[in-house]
Amino acid sequence: MPPVIEISGLRKTYRKRSRKPHQALDGLDLEVAAGQVHGFLGPNGSGKTTTLRALLGLISADGGSMKIFGEEAPARLPHVISRVGAVVESPQFFKHFSGRLTLQLLAESAGLAKTRADEVLEQVGLRDQANRKIKGYSLGMRQRLAVAQALLKQPELLILDEPANGLDPAGIHHMRALLQWLAHEQGVTVVVSSHLLSEVQQLCDSMTIVSNGRRIVDGAVDDIIAGHSGSLLSVKFADPAQLTEAKDVLTKAEEQVSVTAEPNRLVVTGAPEAAWITKTLADSGIYLSELITETKNLESVFLELTGTAPQNGQAVQVGQPIQTATDPDAAGIQIPVAAPVGADSAEGGQQ
Amino acid sequence: MNLYQSEIHRTRRRVLTLIFAIMAGVGLLALTVIMWFNSSTGPTEAQLADAQEIADEMNGEYEECASDENFFEDSPDWSWALEDEYYEDYSHEEMCAEFFTTGSEWVAEDFIYTYTFHLDREGVYIIMGAVLVVGLLAMLLSASAIGAEWTSGGMANLLVWHPNRLRVWGAKLGAALTITAASLVATAIVAFGLLYLTASVRGEVGNLNAVWWEDSLEIISRTVALGLGMSVLGASLAMLGRHTAIAGGIIAGYLIIGDLLVRFASIALRIEFPERLSLYTWVEAWLLGRKELFQWTAAGREETMVITSTDAGILIGLVIAGFAVLATWAFAKRDVT
Ligand SMILES: Nc1ncnc2c1ncn2[C@@H]1O[C@H](COP(=O)(O)OP(=O)(O)OP(=O)(O)O)[C@@H](O)[C@H]1O
Ligand SMILES: [Mg+2]
Repeated sequence: MPPVIEISGLRKTYRKRSRKPHQALDGLDLEVAAGQVHGFLGPNGSGKTTTLRALLGLISADGGSMKIFGEEAPARLPHVISRVGAVVESPQFFKHFSGRLTLQLLAESAGLAKTRADEVLEQVGLRDQANRKIKGYSLGMRQRLAVAQALLKQPELLILDEPANGLDPAGIHHMRALLQWLAHEQGVTVVVSSHLLSEVQQLCDSMTIVSNGRRIVDGAVDDIIAGHSGSLLSVKFADPAQLTEAKDVLTKAEEQVSVTAEPNRLVVTGAPEAAWITKTLADSGIYLSELITETKNLESVFLELTGTAPQNGQAVQVGQPIQTATDPDAAGIQIPVAAPVGADSAEGGQQ
Repeated sequence: MNLYQSEIHRTRRRVLTLIFAIMAGVGLLALTVIMWFNSSTGPTEAQLADAQEIADEMNGEYEECASDENFFEDSPDWSWALEDEYYEDYSHEEMCAEFFTTGSEWVAEDFIYTYTFHLDREGVYIIMGAVLVVGLLAMLLSASAIGAEWTSGGMANLLVWHPNRLRVWGAKLGAALTITAASLVATAIVAFGLLYLTASVRGEVGNLNAVWWEDSLEIISRTVALGLGMSVLGASLAMLGRHTAIAGGIIAGYLIIGDLLVRFASIALRIEFPERLSLYTWVEAWLLGRKELFQWTAAGREETMVITSTDAGILIGLVIAGFAVLATWAFAKRDVT
């Protein structure tokens, strides 16, 4: 089956007269296969919402191509939109209408039965709030209403921008169950954007991780996590002055290895094995005092992949350029962009 | 079509629509009440008698003066006349004649004010005024239908549902025009009904012949057309400004201050026929069929300029169409975030 969503080389620069242009998307690629729950993961400001806006025709892209159900977007969007339900960035509604009226008007505008409104309100757990004005809704209730309007059409493709935003634990659990049911029982393709890898891990089958408007990696969720969560080696020295020297030695010895210098230790990822470090350093006359293998948690995998890990105790600012493998000499975490991660991503066609 | 229908329903369910409908209804009732109390078919017997009494009293004042030799000495109000040199040579009769009217010059009608509302003469202008006021409300409602969609953030969601922006704009504009047309026609009919009732009870209906109907329908149709144009203008400005208040502000600002400034400028710049730069001139020409402007040349000759309703219609239509095209273009291009 062809992919439900195909985006390649998408570019978008926000321009405002008063401000300098801001490049939000820098050749982003995204592919979503049918019948899956696909996670669209990235830190704040990485361009997730921008991508979805462009895909749905809300903003014009500056370059690249997009397809939904094999149809060119946004040009052919009106032909496929009846099969697509979407929530883009916690949507707002006219506040003086009730949730039910809002949904009824939307249903009417697309020629759907008005009774659909009550069905989806039930589905998202808003039945008892249906007749209240949206003005009085809480953040989570608005989020549920947003998902409800996306479900109205009984879409084949459901696109949700951070659906867990503002939901309580019960709500998140319910949402997860609902989306998985839709994908696996109803055959709906679901795309969920998020900035939480743990959420994506629990919910999604496959994922695309983006950072700074570019795809970093994509593939099956389990494969990506397995490929990155393995070993992280912490190396300490009796004399902290040796840190820089040791870093140089390790970086030069093996291309795959990435090394981060922290105040009193080196963090090494991608090393073949722990013994390799001992040997390499010893060969150069450096003797380490401590070598610990740490298992990375999901959070650090995400931080590593997206290059937003705090460095030297300083937070990475939103929108800061990350140090990628295209810039191998730069300090900081290096992400092996060129390295295939898991079987799926190898086919995913990364440059 | 579905979208158009849902837009009509959306507008109908808004509280603002209800408020405006109530305002229009109350306004029409108030108008009727005012006409009802101002107009009468003629004075009653009692009013006539009262007025006759005042007239008789006024007419009797000369007799009273002439028959009383000491009128001026005795009256504290008039004794000053004896001391005034001007009246030295006047006889008593002459002085009475100077101050009081002789004979029975006053009649009862001089002391009674009656206004009789003639539907056939004035009705159409009152209906026109009512339709214009409701037209302003409809314009605000149309602007708000677009403006509220932007300010509430609902526009982005609507566009996710309906990516064809021209269709969305068309449906919204169509719904606004439908509601405007319906409310203006309803206003005209209700106003006519109330005025007809008022005229038949408290005034004169007059002769509503075929010519009257033809003329009146033409004027009211023009007024309704102007109202529709105003709706398009309101919606277009709200679309351009993405806010109801911007549209309302621009329109009110122009009508109150802008028009005045343009007029002052045209006078200061000694433009010929300065009034032709005023929007009101053109609106008047459109509504009433023609408008003549006068001015005096340096040589002291009078010059006239005639604006026909066709001229006015073309100009007003072009201005409105210009804004509508601009709004369409902006909406089609704009990034909705
Ligand atoms: N309307 C806008 N005008 C200018 N710049 C914008 C606009 N919207 C987004 N951006 C910029 O584009 C970049 C990407 O923003 P986007 O909203 O797509 O991020 P995101 O991945 O959805 O982030 P988050 O997880 O916080 O929702 C950011 O740097 C942001 O500052
Ligand atoms: Mg976002």
